[in-house]
Amino acid sequence: MELSKLKGSIIGIVSGEKKDYKDLAEKKVNEIIKIQLDKSLKMVGLEPDISAHLFKDLTDKDKNKVILASKLQEREIVLYDFSKGMIKKELETFKRLFKKLTSFNKRIILYSSDSELFLNCVDNIYLINNEEIMYETDNIFDSTIYLDADKPRIVEFIYKCEDLGIHLNEYKDLNELIKAIFRIKS
Amino acid sequence: MTFELNKNYCILTNSINQNLLTKLNEYTIYNDEYGYKELKEIIENYYKKTIVFNDCLRRLRQIEKKKLIELIHLRNMNYINVTSNIEETLLCDYIYVFNNDELVMEGQKEGLLQEEKLLKRLGFGLPFVVDVSTQLKYYNIVSKIYYDMEELVNDLWN
Repeated sequence: MELSKLKGSIIGIVSGEKKDYKDLAEKKVNEIIKIQLDKSLKMVGLEPDISAHLFKDLTDKDKNKVILASKLQEREIVLYDFSKGMIKKELETFKRLFKKLTSFNKRIILYSSDSELFLNCVDNIYLINNEEIMYETDNIFDSTIYLDADKPRIVEFIYKCEDLGIHLNEYKDLNELIKAIFRIKS
Repeated sequence: MTFELNKNYCILTNSINQNLLTKLNEYTIYNDEYGYKELKEIIENYYKKTIVFNDCLRRLRQIEKKKLIELIHLRNMNYINVTSNIEETLLCDYIYVFNNDELVMEGQKEGLLQEEKLLKRLGFGLPFVVDVSTQLKYYNIVSKIYYDMEELVNDLWN
């Protein structure tokens, strides 16, 4: 698939595709991140002492961070199953980093079946089959994209309320949702 | 950590590493190379009492997780789920929380998930349904903390 056909600066592709990076297994982190090692590690929240570690010895989470660090100089950054092993706070931090990177004219392409990663992050979401684009949307509330993935929890909640006849706007922020419920209930 | 046979456990951690998994050495650990069908088959043919999931429920859909857990109950087994995803704590009875290999909290799900400040400080946050109901309870819109979204939505609007 030609990535250039995809629209947006941060792109979500609903996919369970994983990369095992076997070719990197025996390499040290400092052999994988070839440019601006310390600065790149710092940007992805890794300590400098990780640079001497073998890739295969890292946790899955740190492997993903190293992959990102190694691609920071590239125009197009493709990441697979990036939320693996990450806690909520880290995910929010990386969403902010992705947005920052787009201001340097970079594109981030996220392959994931974790729709929480896409929430408040991506510009467009794609469904792809055999390298072909089957569907695209810029709306995370579009139910078509959840044929093979669960909805983000806030989207699921709003859908469930709709099922009971309660219409809530398409809130993507929990505080906004709480305020809306408060207005209806009071 | 101790594991009773009649409870399901969640080990919530910000770093799923070998040190942590070593603590579970006596069990067979299944990693995330297994999908729903494979895990179902494994459980159907499992001859031991306790099964350990190493972050492998994360990639499954909620409906698939529920089906696997039902199957585990039917087979009179229990499970230990190692995860970094706070949402998965809703599936278990008892939670151990690790921060960089250090056990920082443990307790029954209902009690532990009310430790909002600590869980947020550690970066895990709260499961969505717990977070929503905690805030709604603060505004006296609901009277308790919920652990099931369906139940919360029904009670909220009916």
